[in-house]
Amino acid sequence: MEQTSRHGFPAFVKDVIVWNVTGGFGLQLYRLLLILGMGVGIYAYSFQARYGLSVTGMGDIVSWGLYISNFTFLVGVAAAAVMLILPAYIFHDPDFHRVVIIGEGVAVGALVMCLSFIMVDLGGPLQAWHLIPGIGQFNFPSSILAWDVVVLNGYLLLNGLVPLYILYNHYHGRKADERKYRPFVFLSIFWAFSIHMVTAFLYQGLPARPFWNNPLMGPRFLASAFAAGPALITLALAIIHHVTGYAIDRKIFQKLRLIIVVSAIINLIMLFSEIFKEFYFRTHHSISAAYLFFGLDGHNSLVPWIWTSIMGNIIATLILAFNPGKDNPKVLLPASGLLFIAIWMEKGIGLIVPGLIPSPLGEIVDYLPTWVELCVTLGVFSLGLTVVTWLIRAALIIEDKYEKSSQ
Amino acid sequence: MIKPKKDDEAAELEISPSAHNSRRNFLKGLSIAAAACSASLVTGCLPDVKAESGEKFALQWKEYFKKHYRLMTQQEKEETVARLERLAKLQSGLDLQISTRAPRENVLYGYAFNITRCEGFMECVAACVKENNLDRKTKTQYIRVFEMKPGQLDPSTGDGKYFHEVPVDNKFYMATQCFHCENAPCTKACPTKATWREPDGIVVVDYDWCIGCRYCQAACPYFGRRFNWGKPSIPKEEVNRKQHYLGNRIRPMGKMEKCTFCIQRTREGKLPACVEACPTGSRVFGNLLDPDSEIRFVLKNKKVFRMKEDLGTDPKFWYFID
Amino acid sequence: MNISAWFPRWLHVSPLSVAGLLIVCFFTCVGNSIAVEESVLTRIGQATNPYDTTAVESVQPLLQETVVAKEKDQRGAFRVLARKKFIERYPCSSCHNGKPVLARNGEALTHGTVIIRHGMEGNGLTCIDCHHQDERNYLENKKGEKIDFDHSYLLCGQCHFRQKRDWLGGAHGKRVTYWAGERVVYNCTTCHNPHAPRFEKRFPATYSPPAE
Repeated sequence: MEQTSRHGFPAFVKDVIVWNVTGGFGLQLYRLLLILGMGVGIYAYSFQARYGLSVTGMGDIVSWGLYISNFTFLVGVAAAAVMLILPAYIFHDPDFHRVVIIGEGVAVGALVMCLSFIMVDLGGPLQAWHLIPGIGQFNFPSSILAWDVVVLNGYLLLNGLVPLYILYNHYHGRKADERKYRPFVFLSIFWAFSIHMVTAFLYQGLPARPFWNNPLMGPRFLASAFAAGPALITLALAIIHHVTGYAIDRKIFQKLRLIIVVSAIINLIMLFSEIFKEFYFRTHHSISAAYLFFGLDGHNSLVPWIWTSIMGNIIATLILAFNPGKDNPKVLLPASGLLFIAIWMEKGIGLIVPGLIPSPLGEIVDYLPTWVELCVTLGVFSLGLTVVTWLIRAALIIEDKYEKSSQ
Repeated sequence: MIKPKKDDEAAELEISPSAHNSRRNFLKGLSIAAAACSASLVTGCLPDVKAESGEKFALQWKEYFKKHYRLMTQQEKEETVARLERLAKLQSGLDLQISTRAPRENVLYGYAFNITRCEGFMECVAACVKENNLDRKTKTQYIRVFEMKPGQLDPSTGDGKYFHEVPVDNKFYMATQCFHCENAPCTKACPTKATWREPDGIVVVDYDWCIGCRYCQAACPYFGRRFNWGKPSIPKEEVNRKQHYLGNRIRPMGKMEKCTFCIQRTREGKLPACVEACPTGSRVFGNLLDPDSEIRFVLKNKKVFRMKEDLGTDPKFWYFID
Repeated sequence: MNISAWFPRWLHVSPLSVAGLLIVCFFTCVGNSIAVEESVLTRIGQATNPYDTTAVESVQPLLQETVVAKEKDQRGAFRVLARKKFIERYPCSSCHNGKPVLARNGEALTHGTVIIRHGMEGNGLTCIDCHHQDERNYLENKKGEKIDFDHSYLLCGQCHFRQKRDWLGGAHGKRVTYWAGERVVYNCTTCHNPHAPRFEKRFPATYSPPAE
């Protein structure tokens, strides 16, 4: 295939847009559903904008809820792109080289969702410009939230600009100059670990919350991220393999399975370590864990939630580890999905809400998200999926053409 | 229109005339929907876009772009206060006096609470609500009083929601509020420096600078902070008109607030409302840097302790027993 | 596994020096946070210079009537709220003057409404324990000294010496309105009914709503 008839960035952008508004019926229906999802989110958010966060289920005691839970979990998914980048660029694995761009697309989508969740959670989103150093006041390096703003935006730039550079060159049929982007790829590997450690430090650094104030949060976040993220990527790759023409070799799934299993086992070991610390000798500091796992004073709304999550986690890990069916996708894909959901449950609501219950003065409440929170969450997830779809569709078309042109 | 070359796998990209039209219609519909959505979002989001007068909008515009309070010159502070007073007059017909009084020299405020003397009357809570223009709808209270059983000093073992005749035999009463820590975890956590400790020891919030992330609320070990989940509502006749910019002015929606040791009173030499209201004299307030003050007498002569001392927050609120 | 292959050529520094740099960074950070361990108590302990509370110019003179206390606090002289205007039938000598009274006025004239709940049940104080037997306009302490009603603390403080010591210092009772300026405090009887000094049980002024 020859190069496209027009050159330059505007043509690239135009093509990307064209590719993302055309397609078969299934694709258009999928896009319509996403737009509807975003519309529902915007409608729900308008209530929040008008009446404030009182329309959510949050209060002075449970001051962070569904939004921050999803944010926490999705930072992990974004960081997990490193599990594709590492083999592709460090170990020069050719199989992973083929799918690394998909991982980066998922990372960008997850990051967009993270930033969106933060924005919808703010009480004064119009004052967000107060964060910009120079025109606002940026409490760096004291505030871990400030660190998080820096690392998340930096990671977004790294994972956005490097693939953009590569795809742009491939779009024009050129080979991208590896010497130009390789340092940034290395940077993004270290950066991926740091975004998730910094997000963990947000909670880990608070002496007021003994449920979070333990040294295992950072490493636990990494382990659960590297289990849930590649699980999602496995599902994404399976969908791409079936729906588009982009063939993905079985070996990639096998290697991903290995990464997921190792991380999931480490995650379970860390979970056991936490449970031991909390319950072997129950101190006042264990009260949040007691609320989560066993309920307190009749408040036990999270007990079924966490036990379902742990059971799902263990079952999925066992299935993925012992691999019954020998890499049969009908077994592995549901197991990956189960693991993803289980970790979402445990790392999202199962981490944020119990950390805030009981209040620092010992008052116990229950948290239940309202329809506004659920709809806004739906909207943000739709937005994330839209971003991921846009990026991956453009990337796959370009890569496909590039591969064919270089044959 | 670019017509990409036909490929087997990329067949779906071929644009036929009928598909071309449907795509155009689709795009048209999409852009109209997007415009409608963003318009509704903007009208919903921006406060008071339907401003009755241009003056209100001009004032709000200037208020939106103003600096952090700490960086303002005295003139800028006076200008912003004048705008706030004018806005209050336009919006609710209130005549306010918002002060920008700076901290006094050689003053560090300290507080002591006598857990022997407190009888649980909660006059402090009621006085605080009135003095600081706290939201009546959600019954926001900076001060929490706990009915405690002897044997434990942890408020989590106490009852913070009692409403019966007090004092009950064999129970004692203990109140909490923001303790204005010298090593406050909340000021460290704020990403925009919207909360800080003033030189006279009061931990304050610039309500207009706060972005409402609630990280400080997660960081506080004493449940000292309150968030404005909705728009605060106070009956007009109950509004305390003597206000301070960093103190009891009516907070915007979506901003953090907390006890300010009644900054609008203490910087004028008055006691905080809670101290003045207490019928049993259980609350002691004064200047920690004044060796002859009442608070120094308490620290010197009484057995004092602070809550959750092991966290290293260094609060300036002590409890003592007779 | 060749670790140096992991790093691009331009980043080929000795891993040892990188580790050393990280250790130095770590200890400077840790050292910084340890260095600021000073508590506010150190600062308070060093604050020994007297503070001039009259420097707070916004302190207004009080509307209530005050008298100079007959004892000194840690700073020096201070004032207490006067009480005589609040005593219903003061001056007592308007009745207690040796003149005969009519029996039919007896009910109105007695202090029958005064119920003494001061001291142990059944073995509490009597009127004469505090009131001067002959000069009814004054109180009398156990040394036989006459005490003015405005300075009742001199009497109360005989038994309740701990509370009096605390009251002088500021740990008992309250200042009136201001923390700055000249010190004016509530008198004993401003808060305590001398015949039944214990505060009555009552309902709280408000309640805390149950959290959601």
